[in-house]
Amino acid sequence: MTLSKEKLGALCFFVLAIAYGLQAQQIKLLPGDQFEAFTARTMPYALAWLTGLVSFLVLILPQKGSGETFSKVFKGLNWAPTIVMMILMILYGLALTPLGFLLSTVLFLVAGIYTLGEKRWKIILLTAVPSAVGFWFILVKLLNVYLAPGEIFLALNIGA
Amino acid sequence: MLDGILQGLSTAVSPVNLLMVFVGCFAGTFIGMLPGLGPISAIALMIPITYGFDPSTGMILMAGVYYGAIFGGSTSSILINAPGVAGTVATSFDGYPLAKQGHAGKALAIAAYSSFSGGTIAAIFLLIAAPALASVSLSFQSADYFALMVLGLTAVSAFAGKGKFLIAVLMTLLGLMLSTIGIDETAGLQRFTFGSLDLMDGISFLLLAMATFALSEALMVILKPAARSKEAEEATRGKLGSMKVTKDEIKDIAPVVARSSVLGFFIGVLPGAGATIASFLAYGMERNFASAKEKLKFGKGSLRGLAAPETANNAACSGSFVPLLTLGIPGSGTTAVMLGALISYGVQPGPRLFVENPAVFWSVIISMYIGNIILLVLNLPLIPYIARLLALPKQLLTPLILFFSLVGVYLVSNNTFDIHIMVFVAAIAIFFRLIDFPLAPMLLGFILGGMMEENLRRALNINNGELSFLWERPITAGILAITLLILLAPLVKNIRDLRNQKASTANDGEG
Repeated sequence: MTLSKEKLGALCFFVLAIAYGLQAQQIKLLPGDQFEAFTARTMPYALAWLTGLVSFLVLILPQKGSGETFSKVFKGLNWAPTIVMMILMILYGLALTPLGFLLSTVLFLVAGIYTLGEKRWKIILLTAVPSAVGFWFILVKLLNVYLAPGEIFLALNIGA
Repeated sequence: MLDGILQGLSTAVSPVNLLMVFVGCFAGTFIGMLPGLGPISAIALMIPITYGFDPSTGMILMAGVYYGAIFGGSTSSILINAPGVAGTVATSFDGYPLAKQGHAGKALAIAAYSSFSGGTIAAIFLLIAAPALASVSLSFQSADYFALMVLGLTAVSAFAGKGKFLIAVLMTLLGLMLSTIGIDETAGLQRFTFGSLDLMDGISFLLLAMATFALSEALMVILKPAARSKEAEEATRGKLGSMKVTKDEIKDIAPVVARSSVLGFFIGVLPGAGATIASFLAYGMERNFASAKEKLKFGKGSLRGLAAPETANNAACSGSFVPLLTLGIPGSGTTAVMLGALISYGVQPGPRLFVENPAVFWSVIISMYIGNIILLVLNLPLIPYIARLLALPKQLLTPLILFFSLVGVYLVSNNTFDIHIMVFVAAIAIFFRLIDFPLAPMLLGFILGGMMEENLRRALNINNGELSFLWERPITAGILAITLLILLAPLVKNIRDLRNQKASTANDGEG
């Protein structure tokens, strides 16, 4: 694949402009809006046209940037730990409601630190637990921020 | 005005606010020092903490973080040649060679003195310029505001870098598109919500700033780990050498500091330009002013080459507050984040801020000066210790940064859906970072999008749907003429380059 990274980006924008423009047609109008100079669709239409035009220009104009191909840009990177960290963040979001702030944070930090290469459990726990507890303490006890206890604990009648 | 200054002074020197400047400078220095994390991330990380604060206190903390982050970026530029902030890249040109020669302490001291002088001179300019511009801008109408926003967005794209103009325009347009998601404020109609309740309020600015900067920057550290050099190891052990600067050296750099302060401030005031451009221009200007002998030292450890960008980037930081505080228009990604924070405190920046909220207006300006003093007095002696924080292993630090970013947004909305959106936005931001598409114009577009649409709508309604307001009002026409010039400048340059290229090819062919 010889597409440069600039052209790849521009192509994505061109597709986005079309999708955005088509979606803009779905915006409902109020009765009488056809006589108005400015409606809820005006700005989206203008943006879709402008984005389409500019991305088209980037696609057809001669290369100005580094010209590096996108396949080269994406090679040789640490994809595995990055993707695992992103999955951990999604899991953290899912765990917050059932497990509560404290437990889910400790689990996220432990898993995150382990994923990034720290294998000594003592260091992992000494970083994760005090950070989570310290932050929880500042929020709940000092700043009076309400953090709902985990649903599991509520179901078990602990901390409710 | 004097009343306002006194009111601002009393607010800024209250014990809580002084503590905030100190905490802000310290936290900013630390975050700015971490390679990969810049002032936008540093400020974005502070927003959730400051939600319950008084607006003045919140802004004072953020101004401290801004200065601290720029200073911290200089520190990592000098010590390990890894600028945490784009505005301090030029600092590494001469700062790092000085550190390699064993003068890291001196380089840091000069950076601190230059930053202090640049920030101080610019704060005085701000004291004069901001109220003057605020009173002029009271006569601005929606058409002028619309034109100003177009100018700001065009300028931020024009200054994005060589060959990057159209790409930056695309990113600005993306920001504007994102700002249209949610319920249209005037008509109350849903736009691009796909029926989702979570999208009705639109995308939160904090979520976007955190995901595109703090989160994606931290993830980039994992994706592209940088090898640590021998100098970095030494610096983190606190071996910096003497911090003394001689009288002759001060005499040598004094005129440089004066020139760069003025240049930096005015570049900072321009919408779209900022610390990065100011620092590069100041560096280039000093190299041009230098004697043939001195010129040779540039890039090899010249004190002038270090003082110029350091002064200019701090002066530009103060300058960038002028359009933010007086017009409510941010000129850079960093001030865009601050604008978002101000709005979330219930304060609308703009010409009325000066009249309605003088305490916020003046206390921010005065706290900048205090911030500069604190940076000089406290951070300089603390640098050897702060530098040791660079030794903290990344595998411990990165998950903590990710955690703070996620929780910062979650605490404000209490909605776990936001965490998932953040991961999704961060993934897109990483894609843009990898293909070198700048993210700051997107953030600026997002922040200005709503205001731009509102002002255009109002201007059109006032003019019965006619676009003639664009050329009939002298202020609007003037601002749009400048915008046109900025737009055409790269085009003219391209044509000239193409002609030169053709001419040289023809000459080669003849030869």
